[in-house]
Amino acid sequence: MSDNVLRVGIGGPVGTGKTALTEALVPLFIAAGRTPGVITNDIYTQEDAHHVRRELAGILDPEKVIGVETGACPHTAVRDDPTMNLAAGEEMLERFPEIDTLIYESGGDNLTLTFSPALADVFVFVLDTSNGEKMPRKRGPGITESDILVINKIDIAQYVRTDLEIMERDAHAVRDGKPVVLTNSLDGTGLQELFDRILAHWAATQPELVA
Amino acid sequence: MSTSIARLLVSLQLSDSAFPSGFYTMSHGLEGFRQAGLVQPGKAGALLEDLLVASIGPGDATALARAHNAAERREWDAVADLDHVLFASKLNAELRVASTRSGRQLIDIAAETFAGAQGGADIAEWAARVKAKQSPGCQPVATAVCYAAMGVPVAEAVASDLFAFCVSFAGAALRLRLTDHRGAQVMLREIQPIIEVVTADAVVRPAADIGGFAPNADIASAAHERAEARLFTS
Repeated sequence: MSDNVLRVGIGGPVGTGKTALTEALVPLFIAAGRTPGVITNDIYTQEDAHHVRRELAGILDPEKVIGVETGACPHTAVRDDPTMNLAAGEEMLERFPEIDTLIYESGGDNLTLTFSPALADVFVFVLDTSNGEKMPRKRGPGITESDILVINKIDIAQYVRTDLEIMERDAHAVRDGKPVVLTNSLDGTGLQELFDRILAHWAATQPELVA
Repeated sequence: MSTSIARLLVSLQLSDSAFPSGFYTMSHGLEGFRQAGLVQPGKAGALLEDLLVASIGPGDATALARAHNAAERREWDAVADLDHVLFASKLNAELRVASTRSGRQLIDIAAETFAGAQGGADIAEWAARVKAKQSPGCQPVATAVCYAAMGVPVAEAVASDLFAFCVSFAGAALRLRLTDHRGAQVMLREIQPIIEVVTADAVVRPAADIGGFAPNADIASAAHERAEARLFTS
Protein backbone atom coordinates (compact mmCIF):
# COMPACT_ATOMS: atom_id res chain seq x y z
CA MET A 1 0.00 0.00 0.00
CA SER A 2 1.24 3.45 -0.84
CA ASP A 3 2.77 5.16 2.16
CA ASN A 4 1.37 8.50 1.11
CA VAL A 5 -2.27 7.53 1.34
CA LEU A 6 -4.11 9.03 4.29
CA ARG A 7 -6.12 6.32 6.01
CA VAL A 8 -8.80 7.48 8.42
CA GLY A 9 -10.53 5.00 10.73
CA ILE A 10 -13.96 5.99 12.02
CA GLY A 11 -15.26 3.79 14.84
CA GLY A 12 -17.78 3.95 17.63
CA PRO A 13 -20.99 2.40 18.92
CA VAL A 14 -23.85 1.53 16.60
CA GLY A 15 -26.05 4.48 15.67
CA THR A 16 -23.74 7.33 16.68
CA GLY A 17 -23.63 8.72 13.15
CA LYS A 18 -20.44 7.25 11.73
CA THR A 19 -21.99 6.86 8.30
CA ALA A 20 -23.39 10.40 8.27
CA LEU A 21 -20.03 11.70 9.40
CA THR A 22 -18.28 9.77 6.63
CA GLU A 23 -20.72 11.17 4.09
CA ALA A 24 -20.12 14.69 5.40
CA LEU A 25 -16.32 14.36 5.36
CA VAL A 26 -16.05 13.12 1.77
CA PRO A 27 -17.04 16.47 0.18
CA LEU A 28 -14.56 18.26 2.46
CA PHE A 29 -11.75 15.99 1.30
CA ILE A 30 -12.76 16.56 -2.32
CA ALA A 31 -12.92 20.34 -1.81
CA ALA A 32 -9.41 20.20 -0.37
CA GLY A 33 -8.20 18.56 -3.58
CA ARG A 34 -7.97 15.04 -2.22
CA THR A 35 -9.44 11.90 -3.82
CA PRO A 36 -11.23 9.71 -1.27
CA GLY A 37 -12.46 6.14 -1.28
CA VAL A 38 -14.70 4.63 1.39
CA ILE A 39 -14.60 1.14 2.90
CA THR A 40 -17.52 0.29 5.18
CA ASN A 41 -17.48 -2.64 7.59
CA ASP A 42 -21.00 -3.88 7.56
CA ILE A 43 -22.13 -5.91 10.54
CA TYR A 44 -24.94 -7.66 8.81
CA THR A 45 -25.74 -6.11 5.47
CA GLN A 46 -24.42 -3.88 2.75
CA GLU A 47 -26.66 -1.18 4.21
CA ASP A 48 -23.89 1.27 5.06
CA ALA A 49 -22.21 0.92 1.68
CA HIS A 50 -25.55 1.40 -0.08
CA HIS A 51 -26.30 4.43 2.07
CA VAL A 52 -22.97 6.09 1.34
CA ARG A 53 -23.34 5.45 -2.40
CA ARG A 54 -26.86 6.87 -2.37
CA GLU A 55 -26.07 9.95 -0.32
CA LEU A 56 -22.93 10.76 -2.28
CA ALA A 57 -24.40 10.13 -5.74
CA GLY A 58 -22.85 12.65 -8.10
CA ILE A 59 -20.11 13.44 -5.59
CA LEU A 60 -18.29 10.13 -5.23
CA ASP A 61 -18.07 7.35 -7.81
CA PRO A 62 -20.15 4.47 -6.35
CA GLU A 63 -17.35 2.10 -7.32
CA LYS A 64 -15.17 3.88 -4.77
CA VAL A 65 -17.40 2.66 -1.95
CA ILE A 66 -17.06 -0.97 -0.92
CA GLY A 67 -18.45 -2.98 1.97
CA VAL A 68 -16.44 -5.60 3.83
CA GLU A 69 -18.09 -8.32 5.90
CA THR A 70 -16.62 -8.84 9.34
CA GLY A 71 -17.96 -12.24 10.37
CA ALA A 72 -19.87 -10.66 13.26
CA CYS A 73 -16.59 -9.38 14.71
CA PRO A 74 -16.34 -5.66 13.84
CA HIS A 75 -13.69 -4.99 16.47
CA THR A 76 -11.52 -7.85 15.17
CA ALA A 77 -11.80 -6.55 11.62
CA VAL A 78 -10.19 -3.22 12.47
CA ARG A 79 -7.90 -4.21 15.33
CA ASP A 80 -6.80 -7.83 15.91
CA ASP A 81 -6.90 -9.07 12.33
CA PRO A 82 -7.43 -6.29 9.78
CA THR A 83 -6.56 -8.71 6.94
CA MET A 84 -9.75 -8.25 4.94
CA ASN A 85 -9.77 -4.48 5.33
CA LEU A 86 -6.12 -4.20 4.30
CA ALA A 87 -6.84 -6.39 1.28
CA ALA A 88 -9.90 -4.34 0.33
CA GLY A 89 -7.85 -1.14 0.64
CA GLU A 90 -5.09 -2.53 -1.55
CA GLU A 91 -7.60 -3.62 -4.18
CA MET A 92 -9.21 -0.17 -4.12
CA LEU A 93 -5.85 1.53 -4.66
CA GLU A 94 -4.90 -0.86 -7.44
CA ARG A 95 -8.18 -0.16 -9.19
CA PHE A 96 -8.15 3.59 -8.56
CA PRO A 97 -4.52 4.70 -8.26
CA GLU A 98 -5.66 8.31 -7.96
CA ILE A 99 -7.17 7.66 -4.52
CA ASP A 100 -5.07 9.32 -1.83
CA THR A 101 -7.51 9.09 1.08
CA LEU A 102 -9.14 5.93 2.41
CA ILE A 103 -11.92 6.24 4.96
CA TYR A 104 -12.55 3.03 6.90
CA GLU A 105 -15.88 3.09 8.69
CA SER A 106 -16.10 0.37 11.32
CA GLY A 107 -19.15 -1.80 11.72
CA GLY A 108 -20.12 -0.24 14.99
CA ASP A 109 -19.14 -1.78 18.28
CA ASN A 110 -18.67 -1.01 21.94
CA LEU A 111 -16.38 1.39 23.77
CA THR A 112 -13.42 -0.98 23.62
CA LEU A 113 -13.04 -0.72 19.85
CA THR A 114 -9.74 0.65 18.62
CA PHE A 115 -8.18 0.78 15.15
CA SER A 116 -4.95 -1.03 14.39
CA PRO A 117 -2.19 1.45 13.53
CA ALA A 118 -1.52 -0.89 10.60
CA LEU A 119 -4.93 0.01 9.18
CA ALA A 120 -5.54 3.66 10.06
CA ASP A 121 -3.22 6.64 10.38
CA VAL A 122 -5.88 8.65 12.19
CA PHE A 123 -8.37 6.97 14.54
CA VAL A 124 -11.61 8.90 15.07
CA PHE A 125 -14.02 7.60 17.70
CA VAL A 126 -17.63 8.77 17.51
CA LEU A 127 -20.08 9.11 20.39
CA ASP A 128 -23.34 10.96 20.25
CA THR A 129 -25.26 12.82 22.88
CA SER A 130 -27.98 10.17 23.03
CA ASN A 131 -25.42 7.63 24.30
CA GLY A 132 -25.84 9.46 27.59
CA GLU A 133 -23.99 12.20 29.39
CA LYS A 134 -22.12 9.60 31.45
CA MET A 135 -20.50 7.94 28.43
CA PRO A 136 -17.09 9.68 28.57
CA ARG A 137 -16.81 8.79 32.25
CA LYS A 138 -17.09 5.11 31.32
CA ARG A 139 -13.79 5.58 29.49
CA GLY A 140 -12.93 2.53 27.40
CA PRO A 141 -10.03 2.51 24.92
CA GLY A 142 -12.08 4.05 22.12
CA ILE A 143 -12.86 7.11 24.19
CA THR A 144 -9.49 7.50 25.86
CA GLU A 145 -7.08 6.31 23.13
CA SER A 146 -8.58 7.59 19.90
CA ASP A 147 -6.68 10.36 18.12
CA ILE A 148 -9.86 12.45 17.90
CA LEU A 149 -13.04 11.97 19.90
CA VAL A 150 -16.22 13.21 18.25
CA ILE A 151 -19.42 13.92 20.16
CA ASN A 152 -22.03 13.93 17.42
CA LYS A 153 -25.71 14.90 17.29
CA ILE A 154 -25.20 17.88 19.58
CA ASP A 155 -28.55 19.25 18.37
CA ILE A 156 -30.53 16.54 20.15
CA ALA A 157 -28.76 16.76 23.53
CA GLN A 158 -31.65 18.77 24.95
CA TYR A 159 -34.11 16.00 24.08
CA VAL A 160 -32.13 13.13 25.62
CA ARG A 161 -31.35 14.73 28.99
CA THR A 162 -27.69 15.20 28.18
CA ASP A 163 -25.85 18.25 29.47
CA LEU A 164 -23.42 18.81 26.61
CA GLU A 165 -21.10 20.94 28.71
CA ILE A 166 -20.67 18.13 31.24
CA MET A 167 -20.22 15.52 28.51
CA GLU A 168 -17.55 17.63 26.79
CA ARG A 169 -15.83 18.45 30.10
CA ASP A 170 -15.66 14.79 31.11
CA ALA A 171 -14.41 13.81 27.65
CA HIS A 172 -11.50 16.23 27.96
CA ALA A 173 -10.84 14.99 31.50
CA VAL A 174 -10.21 11.39 30.38
CA ARG A 175 -8.25 12.15 27.19
CA ASP A 176 -5.05 13.68 28.45
CA GLY A 177 -5.17 16.67 26.16
CA LYS A 178 -6.16 14.83 22.97
CA PRO A 179 -8.83 16.64 20.92
CA VAL A 180 -12.60 16.44 21.36
CA VAL A 181 -14.79 17.80 18.55
CA LEU A 182 -18.51 18.52 18.83
CA THR A 183 -20.43 17.94 15.62
CA ASN A 184 -23.79 17.92 13.97
CA SER A 185 -23.21 16.03 10.73
CA LEU A 186 -26.53 17.12 9.28
CA ASP A 187 -26.04 20.91 9.50
CA GLY A 188 -22.24 20.83 9.26
CA THR A 189 -21.40 22.10 12.73
CA GLY A 190 -17.87 21.11 13.73
CA LEU A 191 -17.07 19.27 10.51
CA GLN A 192 -14.43 21.69 9.27
CA GLU A 193 -12.72 21.52 12.68
CA LEU A 194 -12.81 17.71 12.51
CA PHE A 195 -11.39 17.74 8.98
CA ASP A 196 -8.60 20.13 10.02
CA ARG A 197 -7.75 18.02 13.04
CA ILE A 198 -7.59 14.84 10.94
CA LEU A 199 -5.09 16.44 8.57
CA ALA A 200 -3.19 18.02 11.47
CA HIS A 201 -2.84 14.69 13.24
CA TRP A 202 -1.65 13.04 10.04
CA ALA A 203 0.85 15.82 9.43
CA ALA A 204 2.16 15.55 12.98
CA THR A 205 2.65 11.79 12.79
CA GLN A 206 4.04 11.58 9.27
CA PRO A 207 5.68 14.98 8.67
CA GLU A 208 8.14 13.73 6.11
CA LEU A 209 5.39 12.26 3.94
CA VAL A 210 2.96 15.14 4.07
CA ALA A 211 5.62 17.72 3.41
CA MET B 1 17.30 -29.14 10.62
CA SER B 2 14.37 -28.11 12.78
CA THR B 3 13.23 -30.32 15.66
CA SER B 4 9.82 -31.94 15.83
CA ILE B 5 8.89 -29.54 18.63
CA ALA B 6 9.95 -26.59 16.49
CA ARG B 7 7.81 -27.85 13.62
CA LEU B 8 4.87 -28.42 15.96
CA LEU B 9 5.17 -24.85 17.19
CA VAL B 10 5.18 -23.53 13.61
CA SER B 11 1.99 -25.41 12.82
CA LEU B 12 0.38 -24.26 16.06
CA GLN B 13 1.17 -20.67 15.16
CA LEU B 14 -0.04 -20.91 11.55
CA SER B 15 -3.25 -22.76 12.42
CA ASP B 16 -4.06 -20.63 15.46
CA SER B 17 -7.34 -18.75 15.09
CA ALA B 18 -5.38 -15.71 16.31
CA PHE B 19 -3.11 -15.85 13.24
CA PRO B 20 -4.27 -12.93 11.08
CA SER B 21 -5.54 -14.87 8.08
CA GLY B 22 -9.00 -13.33 8.00
CA PHE B 23 -10.55 -16.76 8.63
CA TYR B 24 -13.00 -15.36 11.18
CA THR B 25 -14.72 -13.40 8.39
CA MET B 26 -15.52 -16.63 6.51
CA SER B 27 -18.25 -19.17 7.18
CA HIS B 28 -17.05 -21.46 4.35
CA GLY B 29 -20.55 -21.77 2.93
CA LEU B 30 -22.30 -22.28 6.26
CA GLU B 31 -24.13 -18.93 6.24
CA GLY B 32 -25.47 -19.70 2.75
CA PHE B 33 -26.81 -23.05 3.97
CA ARG B 34 -28.27 -21.33 7.04
CA GLN B 35 -30.00 -18.70 4.92
CA ALA B 36 -31.45 -21.39 2.67
CA GLY B 37 -32.74 -23.30 5.70
CA LEU B 38 -30.63 -26.32 4.75
CA VAL B 39 -28.84 -26.70 8.07
CA GLN B 40 -30.45 -26.83 11.48
CA PRO B 41 -29.06 -26.09 14.94
CA GLY B 42 -26.96 -29.01 16.16
CA LYS B 43 -26.43 -30.35 12.64
CA ALA B 44 -23.52 -28.22 11.42
CA GLY B 45 -21.03 -31.02 12.15
CA ALA B 46 -22.57 -33.26 9.50
CA LEU B 47 -22.29 -30.47 6.94
CA LEU B 48 -18.68 -29.89 7.95
CA GLU B 49 -17.90 -33.55 7.31
CA ASP B 50 -19.51 -33.42 3.88
CA LEU B 51 -17.65 -30.24 2.97
CA LEU B 52 -14.32 -31.73 4.01
CA VAL B 53 -14.85 -34.94 2.07
CA ALA B 54 -16.46 -33.53 -1.09
CA SER B 55 -15.07 -30.02 -1.40
CA ILE B 56 -12.20 -28.92 0.83
CA GLY B 57 -10.30 -32.22 0.74
CA PRO B 58 -10.20 -32.57 -3.05
CA GLY B 59 -9.80 -28.80 -3.49
CA ASP B 60 -7.89 -26.77 -0.92
CA ALA B 61 -6.21 -29.68 0.89
CA THR B 62 -5.01 -31.37 -2.29
CA ALA B 63 -3.70 -28.09 -3.69
CA LEU B 64 -1.92 -27.56 -0.40
CA ALA B 65 -0.29 -30.99 -0.58
CA ARG B 66 0.88 -30.61 -4.16
CA ALA B 67 2.06 -27.03 -3.61
CA HIS B 68 3.96 -28.21 -0.53
CA ASN B 69 5.80 -30.78 -2.69
CA ALA B 70 6.63 -28.15 -5.30
CA ALA B 71 7.69 -25.56 -2.73
CA GLU B 72 10.04 -28.08 -1.06
CA ARG B 73 11.79 -28.33 -4.44
CA ARG B 74 11.56 -24.53 -4.88
CA GLU B 75 9.74 -25.07 -8.18
CA TRP B 76 7.94 -21.75 -8.01
CA ASP B 77 6.43 -21.95 -11.48
CA ALA B 78 4.83 -25.26 -10.50
CA VAL B 79 3.50 -23.67 -7.30
CA ALA B 80 1.99 -20.90 -9.43
CA ASP B 81 0.38 -23.44 -11.77
CA LEU B 82 -1.27 -25.15 -8.79
CA ASP B 83 -2.39 -21.78 -7.46
CA HIS B 84 -4.06 -21.01 -10.81
CA VAL B 85 -5.76 -24.42 -10.90
CA LEU B 86 -7.13 -24.03 -7.38
CA PHE B 87 -8.31 -20.49 -8.16
CA ALA B 88 -10.11 -21.75 -11.27
CA SER B 89 -11.74 -24.58 -9.34
CA LYS B 90 -13.52 -22.14 -7.04
CA LEU B 91 -16.74 -21.53 -8.93
CA ASN B 92 -18.10 -18.57 -6.98
CA ALA B 93 -16.53 -15.13 -6.86
CA GLU B 94 -16.92 -14.87 -3.09
CA LEU B 95 -14.85 -18.02 -2.59
CA ARG B 96 -12.10 -16.74 -4.88
CA VAL B 97 -12.07 -13.32 -3.23
CA ALA B 98 -12.03 -14.75 0.31
CA SER B 99 -9.23 -17.18 -0.50
CA THR B 100 -6.99 -14.70 -2.28
CA ARG B 101 -7.55 -11.84 0.16
CA SER B 102 -6.57 -14.20 2.95
CA GLY B 103 -3.64 -15.78 1.10
CA ARG B 104 -2.12 -12.53 -0.11
CA GLN B 105 -2.21 -11.00 3.35
CA LEU B 106 -1.02 -14.08 5.20
CA ILE B 107 2.01 -14.67 2.96
CA ASP B 108 2.96 -11.02 3.42
CA ILE B 109 2.70 -11.37 7.21
CA ALA B 110 4.51 -14.72 7.18
CA ALA B 111 7.38 -13.21 5.19
CA GLU B 112 7.92 -10.76 8.03
CA THR B 113 7.16 -13.27 10.79
CA PHE B 114 9.66 -15.88 9.53
CA ALA B 115 12.27 -13.47 8.18
CA GLY B 116 15.70 -14.64 9.25
CA ALA B 117 14.54 -18.19 9.99
CA GLN B 118 15.83 -21.08 7.92
CA GLY B 119 13.39 -21.23 5.03
CA GLY B 120 12.33 -17.63 5.51
CA ALA B 121 13.76 -16.73 2.10
CA ASP B 122 11.41 -19.21 0.44
CA ILE B 123 8.40 -17.55 2.04
CA ALA B 124 9.72 -14.16 0.95
CA GLU B 125 10.14 -15.51 -2.60
CA TRP B 126 6.50 -16.61 -2.81
CA ALA B 127 5.32 -13.39 -1.15
CA ALA B 128 7.16 -11.37 -3.80
CA ARG B 129 5.61 -13.37 -6.64
CA VAL B 130 2.13 -12.97 -5.20
CA LYS B 131 2.67 -9.26 -4.60
CA ALA B 132 3.81 -8.91 -8.23
CA LYS B 133 0.52 -10.56 -9.27
CA GLN B 134 2.31 -13.48 -10.91
CA SER B 135 -0.08 -15.80 -9.09
CA PRO B 136 -3.55 -15.39 -7.55
CA GLY B 137 -2.34 -16.06 -4.00
CA CYS B 138 -4.93 -18.58 -2.78
CA GLN B 139 -4.72 -19.21 0.95
CA PRO B 140 -3.98 -22.99 0.88
CA VAL B 141 -1.07 -22.47 -1.53
CA ALA B 142 0.36 -19.59 0.50
CA THR B 143 0.04 -21.74 3.61
CA ALA B 144 1.70 -24.68 1.83
CA VAL B 145 4.72 -22.53 1.04
CA CYS B 146 5.00 -21.50 4.70
CA TYR B 147 4.80 -25.05 5.99
CA ALA B 148 7.24 -26.40 3.40
CA ALA B 149 9.69 -23.60 4.07
CA MET B 150 9.62 -24.23 7.81
CA GLY B 151 10.12 -27.98 7.41
CA VAL B 152 6.64 -29.11 8.48
CA PRO B 153 5.96 -32.40 6.61
CA VAL B 154 3.16 -32.48 4.06
CA ALA B 155 0.65 -34.61 6.02
CA GLU B 156 1.06 -32.49 9.14
CA ALA B 157 0.71 -29.36 7.05
CA VAL B 158 -2.53 -30.59 5.44
CA ALA B 159 -4.01 -31.77 8.76
CA SER B 160 -3.03 -28.55 10.46
CA ASP B 161 -4.68 -26.37 7.81
CA LEU B 162 -7.79 -28.57 7.78
CA PHE B 163 -8.04 -28.16 11.54
CA ALA B 164 -7.74 -24.37 11.16
CA PHE B 165 -10.57 -24.57 8.64
CA CYS B 166 -12.70 -26.59 11.06
CA VAL B 167 -12.05 -24.17 13.93
CA SER B 168 -13.11 -21.32 11.66
CA PHE B 169 -16.22 -23.24 10.57
CA ALA B 170 -17.13 -24.04 14.20
CA GLY B 171 -16.68 -20.37 15.11
CA ALA B 172 -19.03 -19.39 12.31
CA ALA B 173 -21.55 -22.01 13.50
CA LEU B 174 -21.38 -20.47 16.96
CA ARG B 175 -22.02 -16.95 15.65
CA LEU B 176 -24.83 -18.22 13.40
CA ARG B 177 -26.44 -19.82 16.46
CA LEU B 178 -26.10 -23.31 15.04
CA THR B 179 -24.17 -24.51 18.08
CA ASP B 180 -22.85 -23.27 21.42
CA HIS B 181 -19.38 -23.21 22.95
CA ARG B 182 -19.69 -26.79 24.21
CA GLY B 183 -21.18 -28.13 21.01
CA ALA B 184 -18.41 -26.47 19.01
CA GLN B 185 -15.77 -28.42 20.93
CA VAL B 186 -17.66 -31.68 20.47
CA MET B 187 -17.87 -30.89 16.74
CA LEU B 188 -14.11 -30.28 16.59
CA ARG B 189 -13.38 -33.56 18.38
CA GLU B 190 -15.78 -35.58 16.25
CA ILE B 191 -14.33 -34.21 13.02
CA GLN B 192 -10.78 -35.32 13.83
CA PRO B 193 -11.07 -38.87 12.41
CA ILE B 194 -12.50 -37.30 9.24
CA ILE B 195 -9.55 -34.93 9.06
CA GLU B 196 -7.25 -37.95 9.22
CA VAL B 197 -8.98 -39.64 6.29
CA VAL B 198 -9.24 -36.46 4.23
CA THR B 199 -5.56 -35.73 4.87
CA ALA B 200 -4.48 -39.21 3.78
CA ASP B 201 -6.48 -38.85 0.57
CA ALA B 202 -5.19 -35.35 -0.17
CA VAL B 203 -1.56 -36.33 0.29
CA VAL B 204 -1.76 -38.90 -2.53
CA ARG B 205 -4.32 -37.25 -4.83
CA PRO B 206 -2.75 -36.05 -8.09
CA ALA B 207 -2.77 -32.40 -9.10
CA ALA B 208 -4.97 -33.28 -12.09
CA ASP B 209 -7.78 -34.13 -9.67
CA ILE B 210 -7.76 -30.83 -7.79
CA GLY B 211 -11.29 -29.53 -7.29
CA GLY B 212 -14.23 -30.83 -5.33
CA PHE B 213 -17.77 -31.64 -6.36
CA ALA B 214 -20.33 -30.16 -3.99
CA PRO B 215 -23.08 -28.60 -6.12
CA ASN B 216 -25.31 -27.76 -3.17
CA ALA B 217 -22.46 -25.87 -1.56
CA ASP B 218 -21.77 -24.00 -4.79
CA ILE B 219 -25.44 -23.07 -5.18
CA ALA B 220 -25.67 -21.93 -1.54
CA SER B 221 -22.53 -19.87 -2.03
CA ALA B 222 -23.88 -18.35 -5.24
CA ALA B 223 -27.02 -17.26 -3.41
CA HIS B 224 -24.98 -16.02 -0.46
CA GLU B 225 -22.73 -13.77 -2.50
CA ARG B 226 -25.77 -11.87 -3.73
CA ALA B 227 -27.69 -11.94 -0.44
CA GLU B 228 -28.67 -8.52 0.85
CA ALA B 229 -27.92 -9.47 4.44
CA ARG B 230 -24.86 -11.43 5.46
CA LEU B 231 -22.33 -11.52 8.27
CA PHE B 232 -19.60 -13.46 6.50
CA THR B 233 -17.51 -13.05 3.35
CA SER B 234 -18.26 -16.62 2.32
